[in-house]
Amino acid sequence: MKIKIKTNLVSGILMALFSGYMLYVMPKQVKVPAYDSGAPSPRIIPGICLIVILICSVVLIIESLIFKKEKIVEFDWNNEKPAILLIAILCIYVFLIIKIGFVLASAITFTVVLFYCGERKPFIYIFTIALAVGIYFLFTKVFHVSLPAGLLPF
Amino acid sequence: MDFTMITQAAVQTFTLYNIALIFGGLLIGMVIGCIPGLSVTLGIILMLPLTYNMEDAASAIILMLAVYVGGMYGGSISAITLNTPGTNSAIATTFDGYPLARKGKVKKALDVSLFASTFGGLFSALLLLLCAQLITKAVSKFTSVEYFALGIMGISLIAGVSGESLPKALISGMLGLLMACIGKDSVTGVSRYAFGSNVLRYGINILPAMIALIALMQVVDKLREFRISGGKIKDANKIDNDGMTGPETKSILPACFKSSAIASILGAMPGVGGGVAQFMCYNEVRRSSKHPEEFGKGCLEGIAAAESSNNAVVGSAMIPLLTLGIPGDGVTALLLGAFMLHGITPGPTMFTKQGVMAYTIILGCLVANIFLFPIGKALTRAVAKVIQVRYTYLACAIIMFCFAGAFAASGHVKELILTAAILILSYVLTILDIDNTPLLLGMILEPIMEKYFVSASMAYDRDYSIFVRRPISLVILIITVVMVISMMRVNRRVNALNAEQEAAMAAEHEQMGSAEDAVRASETAKADVDASFEDSIADAVFEQEHITAKPDVKVNLDKDKP
Repeated sequence: MKIKIKTNLVSGILMALFSGYMLYVMPKQVKVPAYDSGAPSPRIIPGICLIVILICSVVLIIESLIFKKEKIVEFDWNNEKPAILLIAILCIYVFLIIKIGFVLASAITFTVVLFYCGERKPFIYIFTIALAVGIYFLFTKVFHVSLPAGLLPF
Repeated sequence: MDFTMITQAAVQTFTLYNIALIFGGLLIGMVIGCIPGLSVTLGIILMLPLTYNMEDAASAIILMLAVYVGGMYGGSISAITLNTPGTNSAIATTFDGYPLARKGKVKKALDVSLFASTFGGLFSALLLLLCAQLITKAVSKFTSVEYFALGIMGISLIAGVSGESLPKALISGMLGLLMACIGKDSVTGVSRYAFGSNVLRYGINILPAMIALIALMQVVDKLREFRISGGKIKDANKIDNDGMTGPETKSILPACFKSSAIASILGAMPGVGGGVAQFMCYNEVRRSSKHPEEFGKGCLEGIAAAESSNNAVVGSAMIPLLTLGIPGDGVTALLLGAFMLHGITPGPTMFTKQGVMAYTIILGCLVANIFLFPIGKALTRAVAKVIQVRYTYLACAIIMFCFAGAFAASGHVKELILTAAILILSYVLTILDIDNTPLLLGMILEPIMEKYFVSASMAYDRDYSIFVRRPISLVILIITVVMVISMMRVNRRVNALNAEQEAAMAAEHEQMGSAEDAVRASETAKADVDASFEDSIADAVFEQEHITAKPDVKVNLDKDKP
């Protein structure tokens, strides 16, 4: 399955909607301080950024619709599926680290990743799990960063 | 130059600890640089969590610079042995490095590359040492108004030169600034765009953002390729024992010098990285060479030009970063992030307030370039073997290290959630053809820019017209506009040139492959033919293919003339 994406038009619309929404919620999300300390308003920098995004989005839409200047990216599902799946697996990895700890989450996630990538020899699986334990101890014992232990007792 | 400070810095640089860091950094850089698909930026990001606990921030920066220097040379190892540049900055190295390797002179090509890399690196590191103080003095009158203008210049230039569309690059840069605004405002204490979420309340740390935007995206991309291609690895050329001779060293010196000089000037301009400099230098050295016809067929000068240029950019790109606080490209943007993570704000004040540290970093860069030569000599053969390691071994290790490193930013699981979220954002932006680099730079520059913006506004009683009323600030803003417009034009030309050259190269190497198949077929058919006669046919076919394919490259290179 291949989809042609008019990137100028699509990004223009998406970013215009995003910046419009962010500007709309600004009064609620960025409150003005109760007393004046002489500092500039905390809304200035985000406000400038959002207005520039909005202007650029409008420029992109005009470029696409009126001047027919477009950059078309072909979204080939066969090509993108592995990337999307891998990103999804990494999101699940984060969930697993929080729930069951770094070592177990790594063991489960990378077994799936390696299998998906077509690895069938057992050594690479053992190596990766050993590496997960190694990195866990490197961070906890050497760098003193307590990675989530989860279900494991150490 | 301030010799007292330099002496103090030398004492700090030449500690056993720093020397060990430089050795380690160079080796890691060479390994990462030589693996196609893993860039120097990834190497630097992987180093960030390691440097968290370092007491001396200068040591941390020296380690990253050593990775940068090693990575720039490492890129040429796979360019020569595999015809696949390990980093973008080594594309031009394949032009001559690979043909020379096909003639069986891999060691010679690698030796030239190492010598040229060291030469270029040393040249620019010395330039950095000489120029830093001068530029710092020139800009010592700058106030927060001018620094804010410089911040705008930095972000505009990166936006101007990355990608084909300025509106898209600006959107990316502004998204970066906006993302850095999220969380508690450091001046007023007001919460900005946290949406009541605990994950966003304390803002987005730079480290998880850098990891997600650069490192994880690269690994996902590479794993995707691995999955699609089934993990096939090209055969690498074996390294022989016939190294570079004395007269050959002499013959490439002018090319090294010319290329280093041009790359140093280009590298010092914000927005120009090693990727751009290598083509300009290669073209110029070819134009002024006594044997321009030999370029592209395994010419030593060609390798020297390409490799001197990408290593010369390392030192010169540090000039605007250290003296003005403006990063020149993606790598220096990361280094700026690293500076900030260690509580250093580069700029003229760094030379007055933390002068010893500034010079320690510069000397560290110099020493890393000096050590590159012996380390390269001793370890290139071993490092080249890494290319043949299956990518899945590395990918899992890098991903684990990335997530553990992101977690180390604050020791809270929110960093992991943010990393995953930014990874998704980064993928969506890639699909929309929006470059990530301005976004990253925006995130890194925002805290500095906002700090100067607030001080300038408070000093001038919130008179925002001050940014265009102060003459130096106005000049900086005007220069920004002029440079963005001119750099965009240059960039478009160079991008077109790169694409054409890469296409020409791919076609040429395909022809080389089919020529080899033909030779192999003829070898089987005429098994009784004398072996020496056969060799000469193979050589002839190889030479002929090169001669016929070369005009394409020449034509493309000519387009790059300024």
